[in-house]
Amino acid sequence: MSKLLEIKDLHVAVNGTEIVHGISLAVNAGEVHAIMGTNGSGKSTLTKAIAGHPDYQITSGDILLHGKSILKLEPEERAREGVFLAFQYPVEVPGVSNLYFLRTALNAMRKHRGQPEASGAEFLALVKEKAKLVEMDQALLNRSVNEGFSGGEKKRNEIFQMTVLEPVLGLLDESDSGLDIDALRIVAQGVNAMRSPSRSFVLVTHYQRLLDHIQPDYVHVLMDGRIVKSGRKELALELEQKGYAWIEQGAGSR
Amino acid sequence: MTATELAGFAGLYEASAAARATEPRWLRELRDGAFSSLNELGLPTARDEDWRFTPLKPVTSQAWVLPGKADVSSAEIAPFLFGVAGPLLVLVDGRFEPRLSRLGGLPAGVRVEPLSAVIAGDPAAHEHVGRYADHHSRAFLALNAALFADGALVRLEPGARLAEPLHVLHVSTGGGALCCPRLTIELGEQAELSLLESYAGVGAGARLVNAVTEQVLARGAQLRHIRLLRETEQGVFLGWQEVRIERDAMLASHSLALGAHFARAETSAMLRGEGASCDLKGLVLARGRQHMDHQLLVDHVRPRCTSRQLYRSVVDERARSVFAGRIVVRPGAIGTDASQQNNNLLLSDDARVDTKPQLEIYADDVKCSHGATSGRLDPAALFFLRSRGLDVPSARSLLTYAFANDVVESAPVPQVRAALEQLVRAHFAGVLGE
Ligand SMILES: Nc1ncnc2c1ncn2[C@@H]1O[C@H](COP(=O)(O)OP(=O)(O)OP(=O)(O)O)[C@@H](O)[C@H]1O
Ligand SMILES: [Mg+2]
Repeated sequence: MSKLLEIKDLHVAVNGTEIVHGISLAVNAGEVHAIMGTNGSGKSTLTKAIAGHPDYQITSGDILLHGKSILKLEPEERAREGVFLAFQYPVEVPGVSNLYFLRTALNAMRKHRGQPEASGAEFLALVKEKAKLVEMDQALLNRSVNEGFSGGEKKRNEIFQMTVLEPVLGLLDESDSGLDIDALRIVAQGVNAMRSPSRSFVLVTHYQRLLDHIQPDYVHVLMDGRIVKSGRKELALELEQKGYAWIEQGAGSR
Repeated sequence: MTATELAGFAGLYEASAAARATEPRWLRELRDGAFSSLNELGLPTARDEDWRFTPLKPVTSQAWVLPGKADVSSAEIAPFLFGVAGPLLVLVDGRFEPRLSRLGGLPAGVRVEPLSAVIAGDPAAHEHVGRYADHHSRAFLALNAALFADGALVRLEPGARLAEPLHVLHVSTGGGALCCPRLTIELGEQAELSLLESYAGVGAGARLVNAVTEQVLARGAQLRHIRLLRETEQGVFLGWQEVRIERDAMLASHSLALGAHFARAETSAMLRGEGASCDLKGLVLARGRQHMDHQLLVDHVRPRCTSRQLYRSVVDERARSVFAGRIVVRPGAIGTDASQQNNNLLLSDDARVDTKPQLEIYADDVKCSHGATSGRLDPAALFFLRSRGLDVPSARSLLTYAFANDVVESAPVPQVRAALEQLVRAHFAGVLGE
């Protein structure tokens, strides 16, 4: 199997303070990896660094997509190469309509791939199909991005964008938090529908619940900027029962 | 102290003597009175609180001339029209231009006339001309009264309406000319009008447009007004908008300042009857070394009036935007509901914004709010858009347009909304190098 994402001894700093202290991770095409870990352990930092957030400096190490380093790529170039980050805290963008922005984004992707732009009708048909998949309220689509959305609606909107943009790598940062039980199932459905041998996901989550719906191939535990334990999906169950203290005791002995 | 600066204007007043000599006596007296007020007042200086942020140099550093006869073709003004069907009154360098205007077929009760024609032909002209804005209290009002050559008088009888918007277009042609157009709108009770007031520049060279607009709304009248400033990069604009709103009347007035090297736009709105309302919005898009200044006064004289102010500016490069909004609630004006918002978006390190709210409340039981913000584009929003594949110019332009759009999308003349959106988008495309 080919490596879709490879992270090599990655160190990430914010404002000169190192937060991620050497993470290595390989995600094969078609795999789903879950990342769990204590608050403040660096999970979001890792996903933002992969997406190319300018505030997060890679001080050493590398990130490869399909075997090629993406460190020199701008965030928009990474997005066009197929990296998608569903944010833990989706931002509100007053005055920018969901659909207008999404069409601009989709066409930027298409242009990059040498495909023709989506016509108005084509785009609307696509939106309709995907909105149905994640049961996204049509009324929300015409509103400004996330403005006045409930917490759950914002999360669902991130997943909706992902289904429209069809990335090769989906980084979902706590997309399950704040979702009600039905919404969680629907979002998971959306992700599962996208699973394919050529697409991978990294799911950051605190809860086993999400992993009941989206079965991960691997689970990693992040603590203080390092992966302290990796395992199969059973690891998540074990964590749920025993908590992080159980790992902390044996930290380093992975 | 201002003697030398005024000398230029005094010379122009001299030069206009021959034209003035043929005018009716009341007007000659009005002009003489205004001119002596100008001499007494002198020009404002940086010591005047109102002018602290707006140096008058662009006005005083140049010897202006009275406009000559300029030929403007319909092709030249075409970009400034909106393709709307309504009547069109064109002034070129402050003078009515019948060749470019379209004033036929007005419905009963609606009169749209060049001021020169009213002065020459209407024995009651003095009841309408120079009657509202006080040309003894401010230098540039005095200058306009002393030197205006022409303008427009729009009168709607009680209950009269115009289905399509009226467009009054002022075109300056440059050549260092001082133009003093005057526009007076009188709406009878329950009358309704949509008005586009454009200031456009063509041709080369500096020009000073010193405009006065008076809007008088009788009981229950409604005026929807857009003032669009599209002067050239060498245009200096001074505008005074005098508004009187009687009982239950409503004014919605938007100011869009897109072009001009220097602009100072002042609005003085008086809510003079119970239940009157005004909604004042403005959008400034400034770049290069443009200087755009909006000064607003909303005067709540009577109880239960409503006023809204929403002014936004997008300032790039070394440009500067000034906003001063004053709300006065007079004694007895209970139940006043007034709000003011000024939001500024700075796109460069050298851009500058000065904002000054001023509330003077002399009545109880009133609702008054104000707020001002100045800042950069939200970095989180910028990153979000980039993470979805938008390049930096597209993301910036999208966010900047979104900031401006609150004002544009609520433009009170729906017939031109799409055209305004286009204009604003095109402007950003230029600013943001898209
Ligand atoms: N932009 C930033 N500025 C300053 N500190 C930051 C920034 N981003 C992250 N940090 C710090 O880095 C550490 C890791 O934060 P991060 O958001 O990656 O944690 P997390 O594992 O996602 O936590 P949670 O489970 O609470 O979401 C925290 O101590 C946080 O305060
Ligand atoms: Mg996090």
